[in-house]
Amino acid sequence: MFRVIARGLLARKFRLFATALAVMLGVAFMAGTMVLTDTIGHTFNDLSTGVYQGTDAEVRAKAAFTGPAMGGGDQRPLLSASLVQALRRVPGVAADEGSAYGYARLTGNNGKALGNPAAGAPTLGGNWNQVSQLNPWTLVAGHPPRAADQVVIDAKSATDGHLRVGDLTTVLALGPPQRYRVVGIVKFGTADSPGGASVALFTTPVAQRLVAGPGKLTSVLFVARPGVSQQELAANLRHALPHGLEAVTGATVTKEMQDSFQQALAFFNTFMLIFAVIALLVGAFMIFNTFSITVAQRTRENGLLRALGASKRQVLGTVLAEAAVVGIIASAIGLAAGVAVAAGLEALLNALGFGMPAGGIVFGGRTVIVAGLAGLTVTLAAALSPARKAAKVSPVVAMQEVPAGSTGYGSKQRILVGTALLVLGVAALFTGLFAHVGSRVLVVGAGALLVFFAVSVLGRTVSLPLSRAIGAPLPRLRGIPGKLARANAMRNPKRTAASASALMIGVGLVGFITILASSTTASVNSTIDRSFAGDIVIDSGAGLTGGIDPALASRLAKLPQVSTVAGVRGGLAEIFGAPEQIAAVDPQTIGKIFHVGPTQGSTGGLGRTGIAVYRDIAAARHLRVGSVVPVVFRDTGPQTLRVALIYGDSMAAPAPRYFLGTSAFDANFTLHYDSAVVIQKAPGTSTAAALRAVRAVATRYSGTSVMDQAAFKAERVKPVQQLLMLVYVLLALAILIALLGIGNTLALSIFERTRELGVMRAVGMTRRQLRAMIRWESVIIALQGTVLGVLVGVFFGWALVLAMKSQGVSEFSLPMLSLVVMVVLAGLAGVVAAILPSRRAAKLDILHSIVSD
Amino acid sequence: MTTVTTSRAAGVEQQAAARTEDAVKIYGKDQVEVRALDGVTVRFAASRYTAIMGPSGSGKSTLLHCAAGLDTLTTGKAFIGDADLSTLNDHQLTILRRDHVGFVFQSFNLVPTITAAENITLPLLLAGRKGDREWIAKIIETLGIGNRLTHRPQELSGGQQQRVAVARALASHPEIIFADEPTGNLDSRAGAEVLTFMRRAVDEMGQTIVMVTHDPIAASYADRIVFLADGRIVDEMHQPTAGAVLERMKRFGE
Repeated sequence: MFRVIARGLLARKFRLFATALAVMLGVAFMAGTMVLTDTIGHTFNDLSTGVYQGTDAEVRAKAAFTGPAMGGGDQRPLLSASLVQALRRVPGVAADEGSAYGYARLTGNNGKALGNPAAGAPTLGGNWNQVSQLNPWTLVAGHPPRAADQVVIDAKSATDGHLRVGDLTTVLALGPPQRYRVVGIVKFGTADSPGGASVALFTTPVAQRLVAGPGKLTSVLFVARPGVSQQELAANLRHALPHGLEAVTGATVTKEMQDSFQQALAFFNTFMLIFAVIALLVGAFMIFNTFSITVAQRTRENGLLRALGASKRQVLGTVLAEAAVVGIIASAIGLAAGVAVAAGLEALLNALGFGMPAGGIVFGGRTVIVAGLAGLTVTLAAALSPARKAAKVSPVVAMQEVPAGSTGYGSKQRILVGTALLVLGVAALFTGLFAHVGSRVLVVGAGALLVFFAVSVLGRTVSLPLSRAIGAPLPRLRGIPGKLARANAMRNPKRTAASASALMIGVGLVGFITILASSTTASVNSTIDRSFAGDIVIDSGAGLTGGIDPALASRLAKLPQVSTVAGVRGGLAEIFGAPEQIAAVDPQTIGKIFHVGPTQGSTGGLGRTGIAVYRDIAAARHLRVGSVVPVVFRDTGPQTLRVALIYGDSMAAPAPRYFLGTSAFDANFTLHYDSAVVIQKAPGTSTAAALRAVRAVATRYSGTSVMDQAAFKAERVKPVQQLLMLVYVLLALAILIALLGIGNTLALSIFERTRELGVMRAVGMTRRQLRAMIRWESVIIALQGTVLGVLVGVFFGWALVLAMKSQGVSEFSLPMLSLVVMVVLAGLAGVVAAILPSRRAAKLDILHSIVSD
Repeated sequence: MTTVTTSRAAGVEQQAAARTEDAVKIYGKDQVEVRALDGVTVRFAASRYTAIMGPSGSGKSTLLHCAAGLDTLTTGKAFIGDADLSTLNDHQLTILRRDHVGFVFQSFNLVPTITAAENITLPLLLAGRKGDREWIAKIIETLGIGNRLTHRPQELSGGQQQRVAVARALASHPEIIFADEPTGNLDSRAGAEVLTFMRRAVDEMGQTIVMVTHDPIAASYADRIVFLADGRIVDEMHQPTAGAVLERMKRFGE
């Protein structure tokens, strides 16, 4: 007897675990994200505070505009070094030093450029600060740069590039690549590098030449005399400053530094939190299902309680109390697991190249409250409807046979409510996608959530016909076990639908992401095929932070294997009040390489004050050729450009929304880099030969990649593919949980059907047939979730692709193969989900199940 | 795969459709050991209707379960036809039950998700066979459930459900039918109908039935009654009447 009880408990424990797993995971991801944010915030706060301890004030140019966090945030023009002399006489200044920081990229010992500024942390070059209080770097080997050919590098770059003191390294910055000797290695406080950035430090004149231009500085740092506060010093400096400059305290600089670290992580945080919400959502379905089933199984018991005088409220209370226990346990485990998740994420960030400084894990009260409450609330909310059903049980039920589970299509109200929710969700989705609203992500997210919810509400209505259709071939394929499997799946549509809904969410999101990726890829490929006449593309690999010396393009133009070479400049500017990525091409060559689909004007008009605008933007802003476009440049401030060209193919253009002619670009940007060089091979030359010739020249520019058209296409879609992989991994987890949910539901259903399973075994159903019956039921449920998921996913994908048309995603591509693979995998997953429940059912003791008393 | 060969010749009365030899069934271990069957040797003659009776805990249900291959003996042997059940594994036992044994239980006899017709032919469907159409039609006609065939079990009365169960037990021409309190959940009229049908199955169709019951009236339908007490056969009665059975049962209480 004891064994029976122990086994029952164990079975329940597994059920409890399976039910709570999704909530656990959701809480863990939420807590993990928060713990990581707090930990990183705390560590970087300490780091920044320590590093800028000696800086009392900073003088810098006022921001011309604020760019995206990934592009460096505030865009400030450079200062003239002559300013330092004047400011040195300001009262309260004890020491000062100009700083010159900008784009510079180191090359490792294997000849490959270090870091990935286009996608990760920036690669910085700067001057070695002579004033020790103002110098954030700590030497761990060698000595400071003393001669023009010397460089000091950060410890992370030294490790990554296998560089030691005494080695030579090529530095890519303004002008041609040059070799420098590593004379020292530094740390940023205790960290190997500031947030994963690579750092190359030179003597001041060299740094100026390499990153800012001769005689230019990015800021000037000051130390106050004893007794002079930071505020006083900053105020004194402010009086002496010319127009357009500002003085801030060291505390402000520290705070800005800390904020920028947090901001750089914001995207990552949002991503993780979205996943946490998905996991909780999947968890809600599982909890709803488990509680619905257990409440149904306990109908008689609850009836008895009611007959003995328990109030509705008391019955409701018992179910909710059980849910609360599940919720609290799941949340507690989730919180604990959150620490592990945070550690894992930190390792992931490290692997991605964000140098994480060592520091203790910060487990804040906010984490416990927010993540813990989220877990508990979701559990209780999901259990509310089953609890109310339990409370509604009439006392007479105790004396009657337990009625069979709910059947049919669901009430008219349900269909009505579901349809209304669906309409609302779709409306929100489209509003967010196509209308100009404040927080688009929130509106779109809420819309998507509503659609999922509506489909799960309607799930019960469509469950019967879906099960019938999916299971249609089963009776012929698998005989009576197949027929019974289909009948069982249709037996309790509500339960089947809820199990399927949990899977639908994961599959829907995977389908959506797959469609988005395939559409983007198809659009990129078709655009390049259609409108890009370049044979070879050299990418700078520097993103928005720097680029290639324009001299490379000139050198390449001299090669006999090429006919046209176009350097594409890239940078940030503020247009119509918003930061935009812009590019510039020589108007002479643009027509040969980019078929931008001009709709008005021509490239010929792109002089010093011309700008090309994408058709949709022109339409939205009512621009025509000659219209004024207000642009703010970092270096030259507000300028008035005029529309010279309106183009119709955004993906074919050097930049999707706006581009300039080279002369306009060079007039407004002090630092001239090419972000890419596009080359057309000479007639009669093979692409391979042209590639060889170009590579021979470009090889010195270690950060660049030389690509033919196929490689260029792959490169353009690489970010999408990378994101895709990350999303897949996370969603696979959600799908796994959902499958566990199906297994759990099956186990509970089998428990309910013990007697009829016993009868079937008695009259001759073999164990194999029994397992097949349960397996096929599982497959039907899994396929139902998948079919709904694919439908929702295709719809989401279609809607988003439609919305991204103006960003150049012109093709809607339905990846049939991927979708078919998904459906097949779902079927297999159904088989896997049924393994444990079907085994347990097959081992059923026939006698116990058929002897009623 | 096991084949059971028994002569179905109506004249050979002594042919046993099933039998046990010194059957012992022990539940539990050591101190809490319960000897549910304590050396039972019994033959269930072919084309005969045998009832097993006895007070609660006498082991009558255990005997039925072990003889039918639903449960295994601790020691001793059980045969269906010539097949020694102790030599068969679970799969072989399942096939044996499916192809050669019919069952009628007290309740929850039918699978709720399929129709009455499908329930009747369930063992045949599980075997992937069509069965003897004429025979099945005859059974259905005899049991008077022809107009109920497309209904699901929950749409049938208790009596109708048991009649469907009897039809299922008969459908595959089994060597033997085991019935465990088949009228236990029925009112007396419905119970009498079911018992009459079972009697006719023996008389008119040559079937063999072994039935456990505690109801003297139900037992009076049988050709022979075997009385069990404390896991042993204590008495036997041929051509019983309800009154005689009642008298015999009263003696158990003494």
